[in-house]
Amino acid sequence: MRRVFATMVLAFWAVAMVTAAGRTEEETSSVNDTEIVYYTFSASPNHLEELNEIVARFNEQENGVTVRVEAVGWDNYFTRLESQIAGGSPPDVFELNYENFVNYASKDVLLSLDSYLVADGTFDRNAYYERAIDAFEYEGTQYGLPATFSTSVLFYNKDLFDAAGLDYPDDSWTWEDALAAAQELTDRENDVWGLYSPVQFWEFYKKAEQNGGGLMGANGVTIDHARNVEALEFMVSLIDEYQVMPREQDLAGVPNEQAFLDGEIAMLVSGIWMFETFRDADFAWDIAVEPGMRRKATHYFADGLAVSSETDHPEAAWKWVNYFTSSPEMVRTRMESNWGLPVVQDLDLVEAYLEQTPPDNRQAVYDSLEYAIVPPVIERQNQMQDIIGQAIENVLLGNSGAASALADADRQVRSLIE
Amino acid sequence: MVIPLAWMISTSLKPDAQLLVFPPRLVTSQMTLAAYTRLFELFPMARMFFNSVIVTITATIGQLVVCSMAAYAFARIQFWGKTLLFLMFLGTLMVPLQVILTPLFIEMRILGWVNTYAGIILPTMTIRVAFGVFLLRQAFALIPRALEESAFMDGASHGTIFARIALPLVRPALATLMVLAFMDAWNSFLWPLLVVRDTNMMTLPVGLSALHGRYSTAWNMVMAGVVISVVPIIILFMSAQRYFVEGLARAGIKE
Repeated sequence: MRRVFATMVLAFWAVAMVTAAGRTEEETSSVNDTEIVYYTFSASPNHLEELNEIVARFNEQENGVTVRVEAVGWDNYFTRLESQIAGGSPPDVFELNYENFVNYASKDVLLSLDSYLVADGTFDRNAYYERAIDAFEYEGTQYGLPATFSTSVLFYNKDLFDAAGLDYPDDSWTWEDALAAAQELTDRENDVWGLYSPVQFWEFYKKAEQNGGGLMGANGVTIDHARNVEALEFMVSLIDEYQVMPREQDLAGVPNEQAFLDGEIAMLVSGIWMFETFRDADFAWDIAVEPGMRRKATHYFADGLAVSSETDHPEAAWKWVNYFTSSPEMVRTRMESNWGLPVVQDLDLVEAYLEQTPPDNRQAVYDSLEYAIVPPVIERQNQMQDIIGQAIENVLLGNSGAASALADADRQVRSLIE
Repeated sequence: MVIPLAWMISTSLKPDAQLLVFPPRLVTSQMTLAAYTRLFELFPMARMFFNSVIVTITATIGQLVVCSMAAYAFARIQFWGKTLLFLMFLGTLMVPLQVILTPLFIEMRILGWVNTYAGIILPTMTIRVAFGVFLLRQAFALIPRALEESAFMDGASHGTIFARIALPLVRPALATLMVLAFMDAWNSFLWPLLVVRDTNMMTLPVGLSALHGRYSTAWNMVMAGVVISVVPIIILFMSAQRYFVEGLARAGIKE
């Protein structure tokens, strides 16, 4: 036993010494290059190869900058980022979705890009979709550049529409048209539901805007606005009153996208990232701009790149941000692999994307951008989402009416802001 | 016990389109190793496995060495402030990792240990030392004083008694601690996630977490990764199971 123990002590020290000394050498191509770290979530899990391809192309340019990627899944991305910022060693460039961008920009951890936008001759503001680049401006300063966007659209099962002898949805549709079609399409005996659009915060803020309301106005919180109440009542009536939409429990744990793929949902409001999943569906499907009511509104999901205010290499970081958000190589790689849509203005660049099928009506993706809205963002974003989510839940469960639930949420969110 | 394992293996062998088919099927006609191949293409799996092994073995051995020596001292040697020190030691059990995450990270940065094995291993190991000391102290306290006294009569020092008499007697407790420390280190996620910056330095849980995307999760690859990472744990548990159960049953029983 003594010998065993002594051996263990020795082994421990031996390994500890070796490992402490043996730091891995960086695989940089050239010694003189400035290495910057790019921290990202959007490549995981399906597009790591494409990301590496874009990085490799950038590194081959020999412009004195080498990028090293740190890719982490979405679930843990922000935990790690926050700790590294707090610990004083943030990545040089990192990816932020719009909602978090506002949060980070307001906390002074991002570098202003304004001087580079002017100084760098290769930068062209008009190359980007206007709304998209504006979204990454905070209080008049450009703190980031948009890399990709997604929108929500209406997916529909053509075969089910044909069988019911209905016209396909088009851009002129309102909620009423969608409801009328859904009533025709719903066939409980064959397990077919007419419509599915999730009943939660993200869907509600959008429906509120579609109805001419909105959660935040120029004068602050307007959650209990009559138009919002109407919107929420409509969302719930699809389930309760008209019974054209399943509840979560009706789907028995099957995700709504899978139910659509199984031909059990005729119309689905979802994001354009589902194209790849739906490609092999054994029925014909297409998309249309989401139906509105008093106006049209579609959720605009934007991911952008920002530079840490503590980076030692702001110039190098800028080069990468510029390249990764607007270079033709990036556009091509993304197009070829269906990896998010670059926010470039010039539709010729994305022609290859528009020509792919299904869906036939890919133009609807860019058409949706015309109606793009972004969710309200406050400093205590998660709490606001929880409060409103809770109100929606209560209405859905029949615990309270839409008006009183939203009045309640309105009060709570107001006190959050003050 | 068997069904989750079977499900895990079955999912890891399914092609993408079969993952969420309802009703679920354990065996389908389209079983494939594609998820495994792709996993090895996307990640330096061998390197990650090696990292996990190095981290786990070093942390486990380190914990056994440190805990057993400290526990012996707490159980058998009289010194000033012993009870107070032991209570403070136990008190650290109540501080969750999340609280010390940022200071620990700053410490590692100053030491230059970010993205090194030392930076992963030492915190992984020390975070659970208090528990190990507590567990082993109870075991050492059970050894009859008479054994020790007769050894003293024969001129043995504390070192000799520790290594030749006490340690062999607490073998079941050591085995228990070994299994627990091994599982802790093998599964540890949050700390390595923060301190590792390079894909080549990632342990399996950190590397595989990249499979959980924002809009989708590649469940077949996740399960393939889990199969690869769970196999060593199962082997270890099976071989140490006898001691494991015995040790747990004994811990905390006083004569």
